[in-house]
Amino acid sequence: MNETEKLYQKKLERYMTAMDCGKPDVVPVTFGIGEWVVKYTGTTLQEIYYDLDKSNNIVNEMLKGLDFDIFKGGPCLWWPPMFDAMGSKLYKFPGMGVDENSTFQFNEQEYMKADDYDEFIAGPTEWLVNHFLPNISTELENPGSYRSTVALIKGAAAFAISGGVMAAAWEKWTVEHGVVGQTTGFSKAPFDTLGDALRGMKGVLLDLRRRPEKVIAACAAITPHNINCGVAGSGADTRFPCFAPLHRGAYPFLNPKQWDNFYWPSLKANIEGLWAKGKRMLFYAEGDWTPYLEKIAELPDKSIIFQIDTTDPKKAKEILGGRFCLQGGVPTTLLTYGTPEKVKEHVKRTIDELAGDGGFILDAGGVVMGDAKQENVIAMIEAAREYGVY
Amino acid sequence: MSDKEKLLNPDPGVCVPWEVKVEEIGEFPGNEAIAKKEWEKLDDFAYNFIWFWAQR
Repeated sequence: MNETEKLYQKKLERYMTAMDCGKPDVVPVTFGIGEWVVKYTGTTLQEIYYDLDKSNNIVNEMLKGLDFDIFKGGPCLWWPPMFDAMGSKLYKFPGMGVDENSTFQFNEQEYMKADDYDEFIAGPTEWLVNHFLPNISTELENPGSYRSTVALIKGAAAFAISGGVMAAAWEKWTVEHGVVGQTTGFSKAPFDTLGDALRGMKGVLLDLRRRPEKVIAACAAITPHNINCGVAGSGADTRFPCFAPLHRGAYPFLNPKQWDNFYWPSLKANIEGLWAKGKRMLFYAEGDWTPYLEKIAELPDKSIIFQIDTTDPKKAKEILGGRFCLQGGVPTTLLTYGTPEKVKEHVKRTIDELAGDGGFILDAGGVVMGDAKQENVIAMIEAAREYGVY
Repeated sequence: MSDKEKLLNPDPGVCVPWEVKVEEIGEFPGNEAIAKKEWEKLDDFAYNFIWFWAQR
């Protein structure tokens, strides 16, 4: 075993121990390279989004010499050329719809109409192919046409190509820098799948009043698919959690009664379904989930890593600590508006409050935005090493 | 609606089940398991591509 392999094993051990609520040698700390990196590279955000090789090389250079445990990936969540090939209406990307240095924007619409519920519930995958893809893709407006067929070929090819490029990049980062990736697989709360891309916020909120039984039935129809997406195939990895960004469940998007009736049952079923297959969820609780901590505590022990964004950290520790690994604690606003000194003070306080008996991973609370300062992000991981020794 | 276009409502991870395909093929002189394995790999790829768009 060479030095990098030993480093990888050491970091992996820390991560696995913390996930199982144990106490490693140090508090594991995450690091991710967000859109903020563009300010320090002499490139545009469009170049970083469109040119995967350029983006991955920037990541490779940046990883040199940094001391952290869990890597959350590079600056681009998506590869826009795939969306361009399909004529996707879902996003505006840097340089295509918004300025070359502006972050992406989601173009939320009712891509699924209220009348579509029954057909969607009867066969979700077929409905997505027959109706959703044409609804969200200008190139697929005439299914079976020359343009439509070519766009599908290009879109599927782009999906495979980008997947292959990113797999190779992760292998390189692992071999050269000993980094441990945080997640494998992707899932969501079924209500978010329905409320984000299908019905949109306005549509799904009206549905809660006008057709509540359809919302519940649709979430039930989505749940087995979200379990499958989280596991990412039979025989796939179960060591690492799947990533699940959670949106409409944050307080107060829904009132507590709506949360109990519409949001939580299918999300809970999703998590329990994943856990039955040995797969944990990174419960990426964006925003404030404090009012729901007692409900979340009903989940099987260790079945999630609970992300603390603006949730009350002391209550999260009190209610979930010891049974679920906690992650986060550093406000994203501090990484934008703070100073390295302020970040270090906060990291020390967070470790004192949350890390005492293990089961904690230090991380930014949410997605680190493009206006964050690199020196603050670096200060976070340096402070974790300084104060995070058990 | 033709037979090929009837509602399948396949299981998660599946677009067109191998069982449907093999019924259309009829007699299978070779090793079915070899063909089934590769069919299901590509089918799973297609499934993930389709659901990718709904999971923004």
